[in-house]
Amino acid sequence: MAPKKKGKAAVPSKTLVIDNGAYTLKAGLVSSETSELSYDDCSVIPNCVARSTRDKRTYVASEMAECKDFGELAFRRPVEKGFIVNWEAQKAVWEHEFMDSSAGAGLRCDPKDTNLLLMEKPNCPKELQKNCDEIVFEQFEFNAYYRCIGGAMNAYHPTSLGALPQECLLVIDTSYSDTTILPVYKGQLLHSAVRRLTVGGKLLTNYLKELSSLRHYNMLEETYLLNEIKEAVSFVAPSTQEFSKDLERTWKGRLGDKRELDSSIVVDYVLPDYEQAIHGYARPHDPVKSRMRRGLQPMQGPREDLLPLGNERFAVPELLFNPTDIGIQEVGLPRAVMEALNGLPEALKVAMLANVVVVGGNTLIPGFMDRLEAELRALVPSNYLLNIAKADDPIKHTWLGAAQFASRPDLMKEVLVTKAEYDERGSTWLGKKFAGGER
Amino acid sequence: MPHVEVLPNSAAAIAPGWTYVVDTGYDPSKIAINPKNKKRAAANPNQRSENELSSRQQTAIARRIAELNRDNDPKQSIPIPGKASIPKTQNARRIIQYQRQIKHWLDDEEAQLALAQQAPLPRSATAASRLAAQPLRRSSTMASVPPTPSETTPAPPAPTPTKPRSSRMDLDDDPLLAIDDSLPPPVSQADLDALLAAPPLSYAASHVAPPPVGGPPQRHFCDNCGYWGKIKCLKCGARVCGMECKDAHEATRCLKWA
Repeated sequence: MAPKKKGKAAVPSKTLVIDNGAYTLKAGLVSSETSELSYDDCSVIPNCVARSTRDKRTYVASEMAECKDFGELAFRRPVEKGFIVNWEAQKAVWEHEFMDSSAGAGLRCDPKDTNLLLMEKPNCPKELQKNCDEIVFEQFEFNAYYRCIGGAMNAYHPTSLGALPQECLLVIDTSYSDTTILPVYKGQLLHSAVRRLTVGGKLLTNYLKELSSLRHYNMLEETYLLNEIKEAVSFVAPSTQEFSKDLERTWKGRLGDKRELDSSIVVDYVLPDYEQAIHGYARPHDPVKSRMRRGLQPMQGPREDLLPLGNERFAVPELLFNPTDIGIQEVGLPRAVMEALNGLPEALKVAMLANVVVVGGNTLIPGFMDRLEAELRALVPSNYLLNIAKADDPIKHTWLGAAQFASRPDLMKEVLVTKAEYDERGSTWLGKKFAGGER
Repeated sequence: MPHVEVLPNSAAAIAPGWTYVVDTGYDPSKIAINPKNKKRAAANPNQRSENELSSRQQTAIARRIAELNRDNDPKQSIPIPGKASIPKTQNARRIIQYQRQIKHWLDDEEAQLALAQQAPLPRSATAASRLAAQPLRRSSTMASVPPTPSETTPAPPAPTPTKPRSSRMDLDDDPLLAIDDSLPPPVSQADLDALLAAPPLSYAASHVAPPPVGGPPQRHFCDNCGYWGKIKCLKCGARVCGMECKDAHEATRCLKWA
């Protein structure tokens, strides 16, 4: 059983960098010679196995691009709350994307001569980390491997000025599973100050699904469609006062005192029928057409089903700032940021606030950054500098930071663990090493 | 022989004869001991405060949040297409065949933490460091009230500044250029090392604190249309905006029939 002693120089130069998200995984092969890395080196792949009861087909990961009918599409996601839970599904996705003949040319690799840099969410249960390490080495047999917390890798993002890693960086990662706040010092996460907000993109989509199903049609099986609608129409109100005004403008009025809905906010979403159109679109609300919806549809000519969206447009993303609106007992995002920082010494707090980067899909909701900056500014002491920026590509930003890290052999040499070492010392040792316990 | 004495309290023995009663002076609420208007008794703000929820409502909210936050539907099972490659080791087979959901893993983690805190194991070093992390967490939640410029963390003044700022001290002689007043004391290397070495929090402990008690009250929305929820449903306590939505609410969502 004695592992074969390999030469020290045997670590391959090719690294598979995976940001294994619950909704999409971001992956790319990075070799240590590359000097210029860009977002184009990163592929965004749906991290799911989807099954349609209509065309009786199962779609694995990137096969979703072939899907023409998203009606009643059911998803199986290997990642729950940001952590890899179901390895049967995750293995299928990884094999499909990186190893089998179905893999894209830029991603295909043989694990035996490839390093793996895998990113995970913070506060992962140790048992799950152990499972992950064991699968990576025993099932996939990667040559060498490093597992780290994705947020910390933003410190290596190449667009920043000056030396890498950045000294103090506050990462706000508002993604599919949840929203996390990660203070990073010289590329290392300050674990005691990490904070998490339950609200993420998944919760917003499900909330919109619930509201639409309650108010209009039963859409509980239409997760894909509702996610599309959320991405198309939702926006964050600029402030709490504006939120109240918008709510007033989208109110239908009392019985016997009906009001005109403000068509600058209320939209009709034309639902796809999956025959003529795969994707729907939004257009300003038209009361006549919506009345027609209730009555007769024209027998000939295009039929259309409309989903009117009023306060759903801004009340749904509002949960990021007021989770108590649906009873989640947590403070909103700006206060959560301050709570994370209050655990740090004053000097670090100042430095973190001067360098805040926001990543993750929810940053793409219009108005999100303005609201976050305005509310955070009100909480930060007035003599402190607040410098907050949206990542230029919020989805791939973390990946590019990690890719930059992976392209530097000097950094990788420090952290990589080879399969031989794993075989010799086991997964418990590995878990401790990645947690920073043993050097 | 131990000495036993029954201390008086307000809910003391109902036996006939006599009883100890706490004398709290004149209490007007004790006068109307039999309220005539029984229908309104539940909604009486003296008994239950405005925002307090019944246990039924709390369960409903918790269930709803869990539902909104769920990743996979346990009722549906989607098989992996194609023939699966054979797991290479026993261990890998075991892990691949797990059918557990995230909540099982998180419950496991909580149980193990509770166990570790009850009985100090031989590996007390890790337990001690975890305990050391706990007060840090506490203090941070206590201090989550809006910060003021005067607020300072109890970090001791650093004996040895980490950054070589002293080389530029001659420039700082000009009082107009001096920024030392506005700058907090630099972090000592020891504090920094302690911060960097702190172990990760458990998943449950990483969540942010509930809103402060003195903060703005919770906003209530109409259960049906999403407008302000100005009226409380008498039967279940949910909020509605008007008569129209009240009828819709009673027809569909009222917890009375849940």
